[in-house]
Amino acid sequence: MIFLFLTSGLFLGWTLGANDASNVFGSAVGSRMVSFTRAAVTASVFVIIGAVVQGAGATDTLGRLGSVNAMGGAFTVALAAALTIFAMTRAGLPVSTTQAIVGAIIGWNFFTDNAVDTGALTQIVTTWVTGPVLGALFAYVLYHLVKITRRRIKVHLLKYDNWLRIGLMTVGAFGAYSLGANNIANVMGVFVPSIQLADTDFGIFTLTGAQQLFFLGAIAIAAGVLTYSKKVMQTVGSSLLELSSEAAFVVVLSQALVLFIFSSSSLSGFMVKLGLPPIPLVPVSSTQVVVGSVIGIGLYKGIRNINLRLLGSIASGWITTPVAAGLLSFLLLFFVKNLFGIDVGHSVRPPVATGDGISTAQIIRYSIPALLLITAVYLIYLVLSENRKTERMNKKYYE
Amino acid sequence: MISDPAVQWAFLNIFALTNTYQEMSLFTRTNRELSIRIDEFFDTIEIGILIFKEGIKAYVNGDGNAFQNHLSKIDDLEGKADKLQRSIENDMIIHSILPQQRSEMVKLLWQLDEIMDTAKKSLMEFYVEKPHIPSSLSHEFISLAEVSGNAAEELVPAARTFFREPHLVREKLIKVYFFERETDKAAFQLKKKVFHEMDDLSLAEKAHIRYITHHIETISDTAQDAADMLASMAIRQML
Repeated sequence: MIFLFLTSGLFLGWTLGANDASNVFGSAVGSRMVSFTRAAVTASVFVIIGAVVQGAGATDTLGRLGSVNAMGGAFTVALAAALTIFAMTRAGLPVSTTQAIVGAIIGWNFFTDNAVDTGALTQIVTTWVTGPVLGALFAYVLYHLVKITRRRIKVHLLKYDNWLRIGLMTVGAFGAYSLGANNIANVMGVFVPSIQLADTDFGIFTLTGAQQLFFLGAIAIAAGVLTYSKKVMQTVGSSLLELSSEAAFVVVLSQALVLFIFSSSSLSGFMVKLGLPPIPLVPVSSTQVVVGSVIGIGLYKGIRNINLRLLGSIASGWITTPVAAGLLSFLLLFFVKNLFGIDVGHSVRPPVATGDGISTAQIIRYSIPALLLITAVYLIYLVLSENRKTERMNKKYYE
Repeated sequence: MISDPAVQWAFLNIFALTNTYQEMSLFTRTNRELSIRIDEFFDTIEIGILIFKEGIKAYVNGDGNAFQNHLSKIDDLEGKADKLQRSIENDMIIHSILPQQRSEMVKLLWQLDEIMDTAKKSLMEFYVEKPHIPSSLSHEFISLAEVSGNAAEELVPAARTFFREPHLVREKLIKVYFFERETDKAAFQLKKKVFHEMDDLSLAEKAHIRYITHHIETISDTAQDAADMLASMAIRQML
């Protein structure tokens, strides 16, 4: 019975593997720097390790948002997220597993009359914005460093090509590890409160019940990578993101770093030790971080290289995906409960009329104008710096 | 279980690198061999151009033996350049080396080989057609071959630089463009002199000299085309 309920989560894992592995190895495979088989096997192995070893942090945060306390509910929530992703992908709309699952959990909260933990929601929503921004920042700085280093060491182009191959494999493995660690929460997070498995001792290490679920989810992700990601990888590498090999290396590294930061409990604990605020452990959209990183590279090369539509697609995804998933989740829960008589969960934390937390309306009220302001200031800066850069380039090459 | 993710990560990374070591070492070996062959190709082109210049000088000065010598040398070098070009191209495709710059790289090598072909063909035409070069044109012909050859000669260091310091390519290409312009001027002056001042030559002789001049000019034109391509490749590397 457990496996039947888990199918929706496993399906979600499969779609995540099929789509998001391309964020890690797409550029390398598309540019034929790394073969698909090598990339797929490496991604599969490291996704599983990342999910089992480090998947708990982001899952806790999702659990705080809504602890789905019945298997039927968890099944329906995961199904709603998976169907939203499927429908939006078919419609050609930008979609993220993370945002879909968050929307679906909020839908469950509304249906079962549970209060939405505004603290957790704020953390998650903030990360949706900071994820791509951090990705852009990392990519900009790393790309600059790569360029400076290459100029200093005067390495032969063919040797450099070889180093890039090794680099792409290494950061790809790191990226897959971080993807597993961070995104397993999307796939299995909703099942953790309702499916209690006993710890299993393997002699040299012990897997907790949650880790066993993560392992299953990670296997589904790996299956997605091995069976369906080839086409997506080749598309990403050759058409969507026209990146040089070194830019691809930087994009994957910055994406891996961002995902690692938002899933590493040790790093978060280290920040606390230093007296700094802890890093929120939240599942972030790998696609959006990649897009952010590509924008970072674009910023380095000049504003003309940036497809501003990509920025719009990220922002629209923050709203449309959770709303669509939330509505679908609510609808499906209604049918599952009333048509099939399956328990989808119960209220453990009823909403209160007045609370001291931040309401969703407040988040929207403050974050949207702030975002607009930041974007406007940044665009003005970009236009100015681009003019300067163009002048410099013209002077250097065509005079 | 190891609890520190950083340690875990380091451990896993070692695994990944060991796993790919074999393939990467193969790449290292191929890349090293390939870079040696590319250097050899450039050497061949450089020597070929020097021999072309000497060959023209020998013909114009009437030194038949030296000319024959240069002709057979350039023939060998052209064959060697062809072989090297093909083997470099094959290896780049088979081992998927520089997949994103490969087509441009292949075109560049082709252009360089084309310079060598043109140089050989020019000397061959002198040998087959035995054009009559009046002594009053000796200096002009030698300097035309000199500047045209210089344009191609300056291209080679620029192409070598592209592999290590692409940001310096443009500086090196300035000389290519300079010599190409000088070639145009020298060819124009020579043709003008032939058609406007040398009435003692028959129209067939004039047309023949014009044809030979055009052939020598082509070397610098091809060098200029290759320089344009190299410049755009270098800019792309720097972005």
